[in-house]
Amino acid sequence: MTPWIEKQRYIIDFTISSLLRRKVKNIGLLTLYTLIVFILASTMFFTHSIKKEAAIILQGSPEIVVQKIIAGRHDLFPISYIDSIKSIRGIANVETRLWGYYYDSLVGANYTLLSPPDNSGTTQLSGKTTAVETDPDDAEALAATKPLFEYNGALLEPGTLIIGNGVSRMRNISKGDYMPFMAADGQIMNLKVSGTLSSSSELVSSDLILITDEDFRKLFGIAPQFVTDAIVTVKNPNEVSMVAGKIKKRLLDSRPIIRDEILRTYDSIFNWRGGMMIVIFSAAVLAFVIFAWDKASGLSAGERREIGILKAVGWETSDVIQMKFWEGAMISLTAFFTGVILAYIHVFFAGSPVFEPALKGWSSLYPNFALTPFINAEQITTLFFLTVVPYTVATIVPTWRAATIDPDSAMRQTGE
Amino acid sequence: MIELVNVKKVFNAGNPSEFSALNSVNLEIAQNKVTVLKGPSGSGKTTLLSIVGCMSRPSAGRVKLNGREITSLPERFLTDIRRTTFGFIFQQPNLIKGISVLENVMLPAYPLGEKRAHLKMKALNGLAGLNLSSKASSQVEWLSGGEAQRVSIVRALINDPSIIIADEPTAHLDTKLSYRFMEIVEKFKAEGKTVIITSHDPLVYDSAMVDHVVNLRDGKIEDE
Amino acid sequence: MRKSSLFFLGLTAEVIVFSFLLVHASLSESFQQDVLAQKSALVKTLRLTDLCLFTEARYTRHLSQADLNTAFQDHPLSLEHFPSGSFTQPYVKNETP
Repeated sequence: MTPWIEKQRYIIDFTISSLLRRKVKNIGLLTLYTLIVFILASTMFFTHSIKKEAAIILQGSPEIVVQKIIAGRHDLFPISYIDSIKSIRGIANVETRLWGYYYDSLVGANYTLLSPPDNSGTTQLSGKTTAVETDPDDAEALAATKPLFEYNGALLEPGTLIIGNGVSRMRNISKGDYMPFMAADGQIMNLKVSGTLSSSSELVSSDLILITDEDFRKLFGIAPQFVTDAIVTVKNPNEVSMVAGKIKKRLLDSRPIIRDEILRTYDSIFNWRGGMMIVIFSAAVLAFVIFAWDKASGLSAGERREIGILKAVGWETSDVIQMKFWEGAMISLTAFFTGVILAYIHVFFAGSPVFEPALKGWSSLYPNFALTPFINAEQITTLFFLTVVPYTVATIVPTWRAATIDPDSAMRQTGE
Repeated sequence: MIELVNVKKVFNAGNPSEFSALNSVNLEIAQNKVTVLKGPSGSGKTTLLSIVGCMSRPSAGRVKLNGREITSLPERFLTDIRRTTFGFIFQQPNLIKGISVLENVMLPAYPLGEKRAHLKMKALNGLAGLNLSSKASSQVEWLSGGEAQRVSIVRALINDPSIIIADEPTAHLDTKLSYRFMEIVEKFKAEGKTVIITSHDPLVYDSAMVDHVVNLRDGKIEDE
Repeated sequence: MRKSSLFFLGLTAEVIVFSFLLVHASLSESFQQDVLAQKSALVKTLRLTDLCLFTEARYTRHLSQADLNTAFQDHPLSLEHFPSGSFTQPYVKNETP
């Protein structure tokens, strides 16, 4: 072994001994430091993964959603608008969506009710648009355009529902059970659950209730000439924003939302200005300031004495600085790795119990989801430079003062 | 051999509290001899000793070690000379608390990066030489005054220095332990080491093994 | 054992655990591709626009669909997505029947 390595090991031995001498203080410091890294790393892992996941999942979301806005509020979208949208060049298809919220006073939760598009493949693609235009009395036409939605073998028919896993958990109901709803006209609608959406999809479907077109209209009293909003498919993906601009120009009270905007919304979610985030970050920053203060405020009398002795017995100033470097490096490396490992377990194995109260907020229904661990080198490096480096530097800097401690100070000690 | 030429040391230079601890000291310290610097407190003994031991620099004048001028060397070289040439025994044992006796003894050798097994053996031998083998793994807080001083002597010897410097070594020892200390000094002399002691204890400067006594008063050497 | 050895042993152990976690991350990332594709497919079929993260109010449930004014006037049990929202409580319900 080269003398250099042996020397570093000696210095580390000695540094650990001196750290252990003030056991309570240093273990407390280490714990606090680990906690800060843990919180920062958990936040970073959680937000990064959820953003990444959102970016992947929401690739499937509609290219353009067109809403109608009146006086700053959403309004029902008239079906008559569809034709004027369709006449814009570059549009491949326009479909309509029917969806809304239902407040369940029993459990105090909000559900998202959604009428799914036809996916059984038996009717034509724009079937729904025609369905609302046909005379409801025409039984044959109704039967031909009856919305058929199938999910994992569960068939959605009038009088039935397919519910998200969160709803199922919350109400403790599953396939075959009935769920009562209070309709717009005061009647109670008892709908039968014909299936449950998969639990792995809870991040997008936890609070969903799939319901047929007719039941949706009956429940909320929406006239057939209205839908919630329209979605537009564009022939050339490069023209999306141009088409959106044209829609806005043609229908002045409309608000087109393009997929990029959706993705951007989720890219900026949990940014540093969000309420909780600023609390977490400022707490962490403050804690670091306290650390740095404690370190930079200088050496205690005991430390000065010790450095004096070390210099008197033949340590150089650089040896003392190396000792302090190891002190900082040891504490921060240990805290860094422990914190990061605990954060990983916390976020990806335990489901972020620390953040749960904050994320749940005041909502009663909260999805159970396992995040996919998206970790990249950049995150880890950022975290490293945010924690290990400042702490180590803060430990070394005041030691420059040690250079001013004369080795003969040890000779001038008169009392212990 | 150590030679001091016209050495001066001024503290707080330029301040109203300016105070000159040494005034034009000329001194030669012979090799393999025991030299005692004697004088009342405040006479500049410790200052002189720290200059001789390369711990501080004189304000003026020159110090030569074996013919080599060392006053103008940069700190790194000075430290290097200090740790290989000098062994220090302080008035206080100046042991570091919280670590074992063995680690305290090995401390001066740490920056040299010697092999641990080898260094440990040297330290244990040194401790055995002063009947401290049983204390090797004790914490320094548990030592008696005499034991603590002997530990500090073992520490001073760990790098096998040729010059031993002791500052008021008997100040905190009773008569019996002081005699014990002088026996150890005799052993050093027998091993061919140069010993420099400051003291105002007659037990030290009147001892038969002392070759040379230097009288200091007000930062000057008084003639015998 | 020497304290420095203990430290390096501990540090090595942590680095190993950490690298296992990184391996776990990249493995589960590839294992999760199916599930992710499934979710994406569900989003496509149901023509969904948002993640079901916060169900407390309509503009938090569908963040991207909220109109630009909603945040000021919504559900009584809502928590705004403005910083101030995280410090206030929603109104307390009257418990008497």
